[in-house]
Amino acid sequence: MQPKRALIMHPDDNVATAVEEIAAGEEVAVPSAGNFLTLTATEAIPFGFKLALREIPQGEIIRKYGETIGLATTVIAKGAMVHIHNLEGTRARGDLERGSER
Amino acid sequence: MSFLGYIRSDDSVGTRNYVLVIPQGIIAKAVCDFVAGAKTILTVDHGSGRTANDREQIARVLIGLGRNPNVASVIVHAASPGVGYPELCAERLADEIAAGGKRVELLDPAKDGGTYGAITKGIQLARRMVHEASKLRREKVGDDGLCIGVKCGYSDTTSGIAGNPAVGYLYDRIVAGGGTALFGETTEIIGAEQALARRAATPEVAEKILRAVTVREDQAKATGQDIRTVNPVPSNIKGGISSLEEKSLGAIHKAGSAPIQGVLKYAERPTRKGLYFVDNWMGHLSIFAGYAAAGANVVLFQLGGGGVAGRTLLEGSPSVVAPFLWASANPNTYATATDSIDFYSGTVIEGSETPEEAGERLYRTVIDVASGTLTRSETLHYTEPIDMYLEEPRF
Repeated sequence: MQPKRALIMHPDDNVATAVEEIAAGEEVAVPSAGNFLTLTATEAIPFGFKLALREIPQGEIIRKYGETIGLATTVIAKGAMVHIHNLEGTRARGDLERGSER
Repeated sequence: MSFLGYIRSDDSVGTRNYVLVIPQGIIAKAVCDFVAGAKTILTVDHGSGRTANDREQIARVLIGLGRNPNVASVIVHAASPGVGYPELCAERLADEIAAGGKRVELLDPAKDGGTYGAITKGIQLARRMVHEASKLRREKVGDDGLCIGVKCGYSDTTSGIAGNPAVGYLYDRIVAGGGTALFGETTEIIGAEQALARRAATPEVAEKILRAVTVREDQAKATGQDIRTVNPVPSNIKGGISSLEEKSLGAIHKAGSAPIQGVLKYAERPTRKGLYFVDNWMGHLSIFAGYAAAGANVVLFQLGGGGVAGRTLLEGSPSVVAPFLWASANPNTYATATDSIDFYSGTVIEGSETPEEAGERLYRTVIDVASGTLTRSETLHYTEPIDMYLEEPRF
């Protein structure tokens, strides 16, 4: 079966964006430096959502566009979906600000 | 490249040729209902009970819309609740619009036989002004006559990987051609401000970009709320965006790669050509009026897809005097709202076009619209009200 497509925006990224619907267990091909990086999706990745290109430890920076988009709130397996359940933005967080004042 | 535009007396170039009647109100509405080619605006902000800063902001919007190159001539009436304030008195608005070199007429119910008298006089004036405007012909002009404003909305990951990069190409193309390009949405550069500051034309401009972000981020923190419950908005999260930073980093692609010449306030006119960051708010009823008041003669909404399910018709423009284009890179959005979308760049995701090829196609679409081709939203009468971006409390 043809592998599903996902894109990385910058060589430093540790996530890729699915550009088609990916089902659990499907192979994913990510164009990278003139070649393809292949991995297996451990769960369904809807169109436009992100998957981890390698295991990401808890607290590690998650990079897209070569820049920080947040921190991993838990260990994220290679091929797993990366979204609000395991990625936490750190900017403009009034709730954190309040916490730090206590 | 070049387009066909209306050359104004101040050398700005119109892509449309309207007679504008402002501020909002029954006189303006009655005149525009009666006279073909006359336009007014819809907004509830008239300045009464507003602070001096906000009144000046309202004046800047009204004067700016009047001076917009798409406007041939203007009628200002004195029947708005805000006219008693010095910033908003009809004579001041009229004088500052006229300073740009175009014809401005005043209507005052107190001098023109009451409201009915002002309406009658306004209709007579507007008919003559529309007829006079129609004598102007489009002429071939360079891209330096273009001034464009953009916002991205209902953003999803297609916005960051295809839609905004195509807009970025367009922006680079317009700036390289000597034109002016405006982008903004301060909340939505949080997390991407360093990348933008590196592109500032001078250290002062870099400092202003960072300062705008600090002010906005401090405001967000002062609410005590988790920004993720506010922005990214639910449709962004539904579309695959996980954090404000991720949204911002995708959003800035629409600004292309040109040096940033300055930071403008809402509705402030740039003094020179080139790329400018506007310290504004993302709301589409607010931002496009601000761009038009700053002189934009075309505006563009780069649409993602989250939250537009079932919307086969995307409603019209709030910008009033600047033609408004819908662009999208989301195949589902395009399939749903094909009739409403002026430009589609999902081809980049499908692999049939590069972002540059899509951007070139977008550029040609904008040139066509600037030369007179109607945007999809211009084929509707429906116009949304303007939500002027005012930042101070009311009293």
